Amino acid sequence: MLDRIISEAPRFFTYYNMVFLLEAMGRTLLMTLIGVSLGFVLGFMLDFARRTPGRAWLPLRLAATLYVETFRRIPFLVILFIVLFAIQGFRFSVSLFGVAMIAICVISSAFCAEIIRAGFDSIHQTQWDTAAVMNFGRLQTLRHVVLPQAWRVILPPAFAFMVMFIKDTALASQLGVVELTFAGKVLSTRGFSAILVFGTVLVLYFVLSYPLSRLGGWLERRLAPSRGR
Amino acid sequence: MTYTFQWGEALKHLPYLLGGAWLSLVLAFLGFWGGALIGLFGAVGKVYGGRLIYRIVDVYVVFFTNTPALVQIFFLFYALPEVGILLSPFTAVLIGLVLNSGAYLTEIQRAGFTSVRQTEIEAAEVLGMSLAQIVRYVIVPHIAKTLYAPLSSFYIWLVLGTSMAAIFGVEELTGRAINISSTNFRTIEVFSVTALIYIAITILASAVLALIGRYAFRVRAKIF
Repeated sequence: MLDRIISEAPRFFTYYNMVFLLEAMGRTLLMTLIGVSLGFVLGFMLDFARRTPGRAWLPLRLAATLYVETFRRIPFLVILFIVLFAIQGFRFSVSLFGVAMIAICVISSAFCAEIIRAGFDSIHQTQWDTAAVMNFGRLQTLRHVVLPQAWRVILPPAFAFMVMFIKDTALASQLGVVELTFAGKVLSTRGFSAILVFGTVLVLYFVLSYPLSRLGGWLERRLAPSRGR
Repeated sequence: MTYTFQWGEALKHLPYLLGGAWLSLVLAFLGFWGGALIGLFGAVGKVYGGRLIYRIVDVYVVFFTNTPALVQIFFLFYALPEVGILLSPFTAVLIGLVLNSGAYLTEIQRAGFTSVRQTEIEAAEVLGMSLAQIVRYVIVPHIAKTLYAPLSSFYIWLVLGTSMAAIFGVEELTGRAINISSTNFRTIEVFSVTALIYIAITILASAVLALIGRYAFRVRAKIF
């Protein structure tokens, strides 16, 4: 077994195979980055919608809560299938990458909304009230009072979430988006030893996510003491 | 915009889908308890073990939490036959989930262990409590309180994670949905119903966990 891997290794680690894998790795990273940044913007809006005051905004609040609670309880794979077939059923022409992106954004906005909510919940209601007394608008309060304090709580889980998403994009290989897992499947069907191929893929995923989780852990330790006020 | 929904086609298969949901829950249950056992050993090793054991457990945890479960299962399912180990789809997925949740649960349970402070145990000793009493009245309530929330949200995450088994041909909820939709081509309807079932079973699981938390561990737990 080991001698088979050793004899195959020079054939596997060729320039073109490596370029193929690295390009696929780039696509995994790109999907994660777009998904997480769009997810954060949308999640922020969702959380803002959940915090609107008064009875007039009740439908908006309910809709935002329903969205968040629903999409955090559906597996990513199922969302992928629904998005794919809904788009094809209604005859929009969107590339497979686009389909995967839409599915990722749907899920990531729901998860980000929860992270942001936890961050904003850490800011006591009195601060909102004080800001209101000082004639701050809601957006002004958010920008000048809440965000400068809440980002410390939001940032560490955001990194953990990003690592989670690097791993979740692996499911997009089921659609045929050429990301890291799909590249591994292609190389494995091309006849290379599965141990070699999937071992390499695992290592590449590790290279992507380990620095991020270390950074997240470091931020958590770094930002934690100032939290206990 | 020329799509006509035919929900009857999907609802006809509801009992079949619910059977799959049961398998999903069973898979998550087995994965959780298998992982909890590994996690217990891992956490004990990490907190009380020597430097070497700490290192070994740490490598395991770091590796499994930083690579996708899907690729790990691919490895188990496609690579191990080269060494002569043939796993059925169900076993491969189960082993993958157990190893994965073992890594996460090691970290979660370690957080629980370190939340009990030495001084609290000393205080209990001063009060004349026996070891069994200390475990019963000091350590367990403490650990339960810190661990309850992350454990129950991890369980929900695991239920969702079992949908990966469909890729390997295990006929759990997602797998059965794929089976149905490939015979009647009503994919949107079938998968919408599937999504609703997932929502229902995760809410059910949350509710059960919240009740257990409230009555067994006196943790005030929210369902949502």
